[in-house]
Amino acid sequence: MTFETILFYVLALAGIVSALLVITRRNPMHAALFLIVNFVALAGIYLTLHAQFVAITQVLVYAGAIMVLVLFVIMLLNLQNEQDLFEKRSWRSYSGPILSLLLLALLLRTVAFVSGGSFDRISPESERIGTVANIGQQLFTAFVFPFEMASLLLLAAMVGAVILAKKRFP
Amino acid sequence: MIESYIPIFLILAVAVVFGVVSANMSWLLGPQRPNRAKNSTYESGMEPVRTAHDRFSVKYYMVAVLFILFDIEVVFMYPWAVQYRNLGLYGFVEMVVFIGILLVGFVYVIKKGALQWD
Amino acid sequence: MPDIIFQSTKHFWPEITLALTFIAAMIFEFATKKRTTGTGILVLLGLAAALVQLPSAPSEPVSIFGGMYAIDPFSTFFKYVIIVTGMVVVLFSFQSQELKKESGHTGEYYCFIAAVTFGMVLMTGSSNLVMIYLSIELVSITSYILAGFSKSLRRSSEAALKYVIFGALSSGIMLYGMSLIFGLTGTLDLSGIRTALASGHAVTTGWSFAALMAAIVLMLAGFGYKVSVVPFHFWTPDVYEGAPITITAFLAVASKAAVFAVMIRFFYVAFFDNMLASTGVYSSFRNVDWSMILAVLSVLTMTLGNFVAIWQDNLKRMLAYSSIAHAGYMLMGVVVMSNFGLSAIMLYFVMYFFMNLGAFYVVMVIADKIGSENIDDYRGFGKRAPIISVGLSIFLISLTGLPPTAGFVGKLFLFSSVMASQFIWLAIVGVLNSVVSLYYYARVLKNMYLREAPDGDESPIVFSKVTSAVVILFIIPNILLCFFYQPVLTFAQRSIAILLPGL
Repeated sequence: MTFETILFYVLALAGIVSALLVITRRNPMHAALFLIVNFVALAGIYLTLHAQFVAITQVLVYAGAIMVLVLFVIMLLNLQNEQDLFEKRSWRSYSGPILSLLLLALLLRTVAFVSGGSFDRISPESERIGTVANIGQQLFTAFVFPFEMASLLLLAAMVGAVILAKKRFP
Repeated sequence: MIESYIPIFLILAVAVVFGVVSANMSWLLGPQRPNRAKNSTYESGMEPVRTAHDRFSVKYYMVAVLFILFDIEVVFMYPWAVQYRNLGLYGFVEMVVFIGILLVGFVYVIKKGALQWD
Repeated sequence: MPDIIFQSTKHFWPEITLALTFIAAMIFEFATKKRTTGTGILVLLGLAAALVQLPSAPSEPVSIFGGMYAIDPFSTFFKYVIIVTGMVVVLFSFQSQELKKESGHTGEYYCFIAAVTFGMVLMTGSSNLVMIYLSIELVSITSYILAGFSKSLRRSSEAALKYVIFGALSSGIMLYGMSLIFGLTGTLDLSGIRTALASGHAVTTGWSFAALMAAIVLMLAGFGYKVSVVPFHFWTPDVYEGAPITITAFLAVASKAAVFAVMIRFFYVAFFDNMLASTGVYSSFRNVDWSMILAVLSVLTMTLGNFVAIWQDNLKRMLAYSSIAHAGYMLMGVVVMSNFGLSAIMLYFVMYFFMNLGAFYVVMVIADKIGSENIDDYRGFGKRAPIISVGLSIFLISLTGLPPTAGFVGKLFLFSSVMASQFIWLAIVGVLNSVVSLYYYARVLKNMYLREAPDGDESPIVFSKVTSAVVILFIIPNILLCFFYQPVLTFAQRSIAILLPGL
């Protein structure tokens, strides 16, 4: 086993365990904290796949900024008895996991089919696709139009946040 | 390739070990002789009447949302900075347009007093 | 690369005008003091400026910005519908009493109308999955805020919250579908997906086929949420009831038009075999009867919309269910996907524009007067406010699809297009549904004309001259288009050219 393989298994284990903890913790604050662990583990996996930019974004934006927002919202809502919100077990609470497993089987089988039955190789193209330099090149040439449109989306979101949260307007 | 990240993983490991160790050090080293009075919230004060969890003001939420939006703006600048020499003037103009549009939003936020804490 | 940008910008001026309108309205909003109608007028002028540039769009499909965006007669047609709806909604908003209560930030309201119009226009031409997602998000985020704009009303906030939760879920589902499609075909470009599937470059057998089906079902669910197709319609009644009524009208007409445009483009370009357009074959699904799946969704949508509408007491909520039913009717055109079907959808949108906006306008002015949208409170209106009542009657008859109104012609062409493609049972279901819809629309008419006001009050309710004039302005096309629909039909038939690879 190479160093890379060991690293992958460690990160994957951390990712799966933390994801399970996110959906089983009844205290929303604990669930949110485990989500951070999950994000960091995923960032590590992205790094092993040579997707540097996605890994950096994952840590900066998701584990950093988005999680701050999630924690603020939990504290803002401050539902005193979150633990009572869990509904009784019915067929619904079982249909979710079953559907998830079916989707997992479908995805695994498809990936195996496309990649010729093996999961343990990284496409040689991924060596250069995920680098920051390549993403910069693509984003500012082929994808420059969506890039500029994204700024309008961010602008609308900015004004929207102010309208929703501000009580009195001067 | 992945070997070049070893320093980062080392720092991560140091950070985790440091956090765990220093958080538990006092528990390991300090004397523990608990009694009822010591375990109460205020050793010689009033008994608390309700939970300490209080509702946060919505202002925190607004600051957090604005932070995310500007954070995303900065994330876009990172690959641009890496490719700046290759893209030249063309890339510069693109980024000026992008930041210009977001600058309108920034001025709006300031003018509307959304960041004032009164 | 800069050359491509300059070349593309030449065709992109209507959209640029709309984006500049949004930004200019915002600058106007914070740079001036308390002149909110000023922002509205600015937005109105901006929309008009974008509208007058539409006729100079090229008559042949053009792909711009490196395949990101398509300028073709098909999208131009929908841009007309969307921009004109935006202008009408701004004009309605000047008169709305509900918005005057929110005087603190009505300026932003108009800014957002510009932004949402821009987003919808962007949707009609998006020919790349990234652009489809971005434009849908732009429209969604602005719609969430507009739906919750009456912050003093509890139901408006509730509407915004429900809209956000359902909308975010549907965006996530759609994004998942997009990522699967990207994984299977290796491209985000709609034409590229088509080429990849046709050339066998992408594996479309066995498990990959199952994954492709899953991806398309996820995409369909995402689009279905936005046009409120059953079973993804849960949010519609609450949001339509809670949002300011001008926004409800906007969502019911323009938002539907935009999503239909992008949905048709997605299926038509990526998966549809246009060589067999007259019979309707979804090229990638030769062993799956895709038309049948869509037909079942269409039947479910119109039936549920119409039957639940029967039990509604609030007219705004009833119109929400009626708009679900109309989404079902329009989906019939997507089922057949023939040239006839597409032009029928487009014709229907023009008719739908007049009848639906007229109906929402009347509900708005009556609610501003008597403070209620309850159907029971409309009793005796036939005598007390004759012009308004006649107007509402005509709009509702038009929504039912009875002659001599525009709705009749719209439905006629929609049903004939389905019959031309051998879906006779679908047309019959459509007609039966129209009969059901007559029942609840007629209930409003019965309250207005056949029942006395509860306290015997027969004093006339005076509406301003402007209000009466607007109602009459909407009555005229509703009647005229029943007889002189030919120009609109010709225009629709000429506008079915969608950008395809190799053009």
